[in-house]
Amino acid sequence: SSSDFSLDQSDIEKLNDKDKAELRRFLANEGQRAHIQSQTHELTSMCWKKCVTSSTIRSGALDKSEQTCLANCVDRFMDANHVTLKHLESMRQR
Amino acid sequence: MDSDGVKNAIIRQQLQATNAANARTLIENINEKCFERCVPKPGSSLLSSEQTCLTQCMEKYMAAWNEVNAAYIRRLQQEVGNQTISST
Repeated sequence: SSSDFSLDQSDIEKLNDKDKAELRRFLANEGQRAHIQSQTHELTSMCWKKCVTSSTIRSGALDKSEQTCLANCVDRFMDANHVTLKHLESMRQR
Repeated sequence: MDSDGVKNAIIRQQLQATNAANARTLIENINEKCFERCVPKPGSSLLSSEQTCLTQCMEKYMAAWNEVNAAYIRRLQQEVGNQTISST
């Protein structure tokens, strides 16, 4: 079979219903996966600033306190999001 | 190409695109964070200590990304679990 080339409309039209359904499922999953990756980039950027603070980097590995801080950072960020949303709801109801 | 071949080609292209975008963002973030940390006062060349810092920082940032990703997915699964429970 040929290597990857640009797919055109006539190729898309070859898709049968079963393969279309599978593609829809795959694309939905991929959308979710890409969103999670993008959120991870944002969180890593924020949490790196908070958790990896030594002025010199002595090793390519995380130490235990940095690992714990990063995991806590993610959880606290999600908690903070909940607080904001909850308060927004209460502000709407005033 | 038959339907199955077209499907697989689309899947392959999409995976390549997502993975390339992910890698690009990761490297951009590494460049920014590690330059900030390792080269506080840019001189007329990179010192060898600065080069070492940059490579270690890169590895460390990747480890941090993995840690954050795992924690985030764990938390998302918890939240979905809580929603399921509260709906019964």
